[in-house]
Parts: sequence; structure tokens; C-alpha cells
Amino acid sequence: MKLELQKGSRSKILATLILGIMVVFVVRLFYLQILQHAHYQALADQEQIQTLKIPAKRGMIYALDGSTPTPLVMNQTVYTVFADPTATTDDVKIIDAVQSIAGGNARSGLQALLARKDTRYQILATKISRTQAEKLKALDLNGIGFQEESQRVYTEGALAAQTLGFVDYQGQGQYGVEGKLNSELTGTDGLLKTVTDVSDVPLTIGDKNINKPAVDGTNEVLSIDRNVQAHVEQTLSDSLKKIGATNGSVVVMDPQTGHVMAMANLPSFDPANYGQVSDGSVFNNPVVSAPYEPGSDIKTLTMATGIDKGVVSPTATYYNTDHIKIDDITVSNADLGHTGNITFQTALNYSLNTGFVTVAERLGDGSNINLQARNTMYDYFYNHFKLGQLTGIEVSGEVPGTVIPPTEAEGNAVRYSNMAFGQGMDDTMVQVAAAFSSIVDGGLYHTPSVLAGTVDANGAYTPNPIVTPTRSISQSTADQVREMTHVARGGLFGPADKPGYEVGGKTGTSQTLINGNYNNNQTVGTYLGYGGGDTPRYVIMIQVSGQNKAFQGGRDAEPIFTDISNWMLDYLRIQPKG
Amino acid sequence: MSYQRSSQFVSRRQQNWSRNQNTVAFVSSVKLGPVAHTVLVALMITVLGLIYLTQATRATGYDYAAQKIDSQIADLNNQKSDLEVENARLTALETVKNSSVATTMTAPTSTQYVSQ
Repeated sequence: MKLELQKGSRSKILATLILGIMVVFVVRLFYLQILQHAHYQALADQEQIQTLKIPAKRGMIYALDGSTPTPLVMNQTVYTVFADPTATTDDVKIIDAVQSIAGGNARSGLQALLARKDTRYQILATKISRTQAEKLKALDLNGIGFQEESQRVYTEGALAAQTLGFVDYQGQGQYGVEGKLNSELTGTDGLLKTVTDVSDVPLTIGDKNINKPAVDGTNEVLSIDRNVQAHVEQTLSDSLKKIGATNGSVVVMDPQTGHVMAMANLPSFDPANYGQVSDGSVFNNPVVSAPYEPGSDIKTLTMATGIDKGVVSPTATYYNTDHIKIDDITVSNADLGHTGNITFQTALNYSLNTGFVTVAERLGDGSNINLQARNTMYDYFYNHFKLGQLTGIEVSGEVPGTVIPPTEAEGNAVRYSNMAFGQGMDDTMVQVAAAFSSIVDGGLYHTPSVLAGTVDANGAYTPNPIVTPTRSISQSTADQVREMTHVARGGLFGPADKPGYEVGGKTGTSQTLINGNYNNNQTVGTYLGYGGGDTPRYVIMIQVSGQNKAFQGGRDAEPIFTDISNWMLDYLRIQPKG
Repeated sequence: MSYQRSSQFVSRRQQNWSRNQNTVAFVSSVKLGPVAHTVLVALMITVLGLIYLTQATRATGYDYAAQKIDSQIADLNNQKSDLEVENARLTALETVKNSSVATTMTAPTSTQYVSQ
């Protein structure tokens, strides 16, 4: 009985002891796991869970090669080689290896860089290729590390630089398409939140893992045809040297779609070395960002307005005295002597200002550019031809220009008489070329665009749908004005064109405003024309200028048009009429 | 209005409780004391823990394999990108223009068109 009692006592003591220990454990665990849960969870997460960014690949930019997309801007992984001077063991071997493998990408003074034992990070070479990096890695040099980064590669060099823009050191697109479509090209970075081991290898354990894949940027296909662009750039460069101009721009458009086939400016820059540019203004694309007074090219639009409103026709006449008075100013013709009763076709042929001031007057009461005339001109210029407003072209830095409405004090008869022949308003080349394209395409205005479509991850090309055009003028008016420009060109420059094709155009020579006064010693020469076979296939606008230099549309810009136009007829394989 | 209970109510079931209890208990021939019980429970927990660890380690093993494959995919993608860049450079206009074939080409003296 006593033994039983003793057994029971020992068991009870052991049970009590275990229970006591268990209670201590439970209390401690309760404290750690329940009361201090958030604290220790945070500590554990901090140590075990890593949040990694999955970088999205920036979209590539393609040009067209005929109708096939071809890469113009690509991405390439390059490496920066760095050293920890405190950890390097064989500096001579490192220097030999870096110099022989990285070549021109190695920094100078490697020995001095490696001797700086007070630092732990010295860059030895930049932008080396993957192959070069692998060769260096294979040598297993102590204290050497590699940083991977993506950089833009311009496969066609500086071609279409101002249309493309560039990507800066922060990875942000600047200027051109890179700037305008930066968000589309950038894509969206992905997120990987996961438990990792000591080597940062993501593990699938844990219930807080997040794997959000990156969405790569859109691969954009430009409507720029690389062959047209290359020819245009070469022709422009050669021509500017020949005529002594410092600045020149060309835009080539497809009048049936509004797509820009080429857009070139000089001076330009190399987007791969944008950091070496000293004058930042070359980053701008003057075709869309430099409004100017377009001059006589606008006479085609004035004529279209007059014909569309039924107040004039190509064969209608007016009495030309080479001068015409509006309020207190007198407008004169640049080309004198075609006086008497002449047709508006003749006025266009010789670019007579008086003829188009007369059209403006006939839009009113016949002898004054009254409010009705000014309202009509403004309606056509601004609403129909969309001058003085943003076109929405996908190139950064577009500016709207100015067309002053008649409701403003400055929108008086004198200004509108000047606007009739292209002075007194500021427009960009792309605005004028798009407006003229609408005349060439039977009165349909297509919004100018440099985007042709997209390429998906598998390389499949999807063209963008053609945006529905708006009507600027009637088909009949458009046909008449187109024929007028064909006749106007034929009389002066026709022999330079390939026989059997329809080519038309209009010269423009505009004065520039210097200190508030028009200056005849600094003029901008332009030529605006079209060409094709049975249907017009292209519109080309040329502009040449230079400080303190007087350029003329017919003498300086037209030959550039002729060169490009004749080349386009061959390149597009257009058959002669008939 | 409220009702007062006149007498204590005792159910029939309560009355018969003690009478229906088992009077014979099963006694196992294997005698396990509290220590043995504790050890057994601890062993069972350990075995379960080991099973869990085995499964967790197996998943981690797959992670390393997946990481290796991911790394290979990234390398191959980089190689592919490099080759695409090289291809684009080789077919760039400037390269084509300076090629031996292009330099020997001549412009046609005349062009004939065929009606389509």
C-alpha cells in the first residue's frame, strides 16, 4: 500500500514537472508567437523575403523596308567591368586581360585605378559585349565584378535621328518617338516577392510569394521607309552643301494615308552619342516643332478655298497691275510684268501675290477682305486644312503654330491679305504638307502619322487601321487645284521630271521676321509638290534656310524635290501613265 | 404574474444514472506509463516534422533546378538578342551599300515597264 502510494507520488511529481515545463513553454511560445507575432514576422520577412524587380524590356522601333518592318532601334545587354581594389590579387593580369579583351572600351590608367586601395569600386571598362564579358569571367580574376545593363542600339546609325529621339541615362525616352511614346515603349516592370536562400535563389516555400511578370514595351513600327529616309537624307545633305544652306528639312508623305515616309532635317545628331551634342536644339525635329511663315505654298490652299466657295476658278480672270492696295498697305508681286487681264492659273504659275489677295477679296464683297472673307479663310485654313493646331503626330515637341482668327484685333484685312499668300501666320511643315496632301487625295484630310503598326513578341507585324479621313474640300475642287499645280510645275520645271508621270508642285519663298520687320536678305525657300502615275503616291515638301542668307523656292528647294521625286518614281515602281 | 415551483423536479434519467454505469473496465495488458506516453507523442511529432521537412526540401530542390533553367533561358535570350542585333547590323543600308556586290552594281540605262 505504501509502495502504491510512492509510485503514485513519483508519477504525480513527474507529471507535475512536465506540466510545469510545458506551461513555461506554452507561456513563452504564446508570448513569442502571439503577442510578439508581428515583430518577429517582420524580422523574418526582412531576412528571408526579397522583393525583386523584373525589368520590362523597352519596345523596339522598326522602320519599313518597302512593306516589311526592319529594326531601327534595338536593345542590347552590355556590361560594366568593375574592380574592388582591396580584393584584387594580380593587378598585372587584370590590366592585361581588360586591355586585351575590352579594347577601346577599357578606361585609361588602369594601374592607377587598381592602386587605389582606399576605395572598393573602380570602373575598369564600360559597355563591353556579352562575349567580351564571358571571356573575362572565364579568367576567374579575383576582385573583378560585372554589372549588366541594357542599352539602345541604332542599327542604321544616325538615320532618322530626330524622328527617333533617344533614351537618356535614366532610361527615359527623350525627343522624337522615344519621347512621345515613352510610356508605351517602356512597358511595365514585373515584381518577384519571394523567400530566397543565402545565394538569393528564389524558393517556392512560404505563402507570401508574388510573381507578377513584366509586360514588355510595345514594339512600334514607323511608317518611315528606311530606303526613302536614307535617300532623302543623302540628297538633302548634298544639296545643302551645293547651295550653301545651313538648315534644311524634308518631309515625304503618302497622301492616301497621311503616313510619313521620310522626315529629315539638317543639322542632325547621332542618337547613340547624344551626350556629345553641344547644341541641344538639334534634338528638335523642325518639321513638327519649328513653325514658320510658309509663303507661296499656301496659295494652293487659298485657291482651293476660293474654288470650293465658288468665287473663282482656274480659268477665271482678274486684272493684274502687279500691285494691290489693302487698307494702308500695298502688296506687290515678286515677279513683275505679267500685267493685264490674266487667269488665276497664270497667277499660280508665276506665284503672283495680287491674284491670291484678289481671291481673298472675292470671298468677301469682291473688293474688300471683309469679315465674311476673313471668317471663310479662317474656317478653311484652321478647320478644314487644320493649320495652326497640333496634328497629333507621334513625335515629341510638336507645336501648333498660329493662325490668328478674325475675332482678334490682329486678324484684320491686312493680315488676311498676307495670309492669302502664306505670310502673317506660322505653320509647321507637317501641317502644310498634310493640308496639301488633302488636295492631292481628292479633298480627304488624313491626320499625319509616323506609326504604321506594331510587332508582337513573335515578330508578327500588325498594321494600324487607317484613320477615317475628314473632308477638307470637295473632290471637284481638289481635282482642279491639283491640276493647277501640275500645270504650274509643268511650265517651269516639267522637263526635269521623268516623262509619263503626273508631277505637280508650288514654290515658296518667304521672308523672315527680324526685329519685327520682314527681311528680304534672309528668306526661306520651299517647294511643295506631289507625284505619281494614275494616282498620286507621294507628297514632298522641301525647306532650305540659313542665317543671313536668301534662298528661293524655285532655285534652291525645287531641285531637291526633283531629285527625290524622280527617285521615288523608280523606288515605288510606279508605271508611267497610259 | 409569476409562478412558484412547488417541489424540486428530478428527472427519471438522473434517478437511474448510477444504476446504468458500466461496472467492468477494460484493462490493457501492456502497461505504459506517462513518460512512455510523452516519449511516444514526441516521436510522432518528430516523424511528422521529418515528413514535412522531406517534402519542403524536395520543393526547394526543384527551385534550384528551376533557377538553373531560368538562368539558361536568360543566357540564350541574351545570345538571341545579340544575334538579332548582329543580323540587323549586317543588313543595315550602310553595310549593304559598302558590300562587294553593291559596289559592282551599275545603274540601268533605261527602264522598261510591263503592263500588269
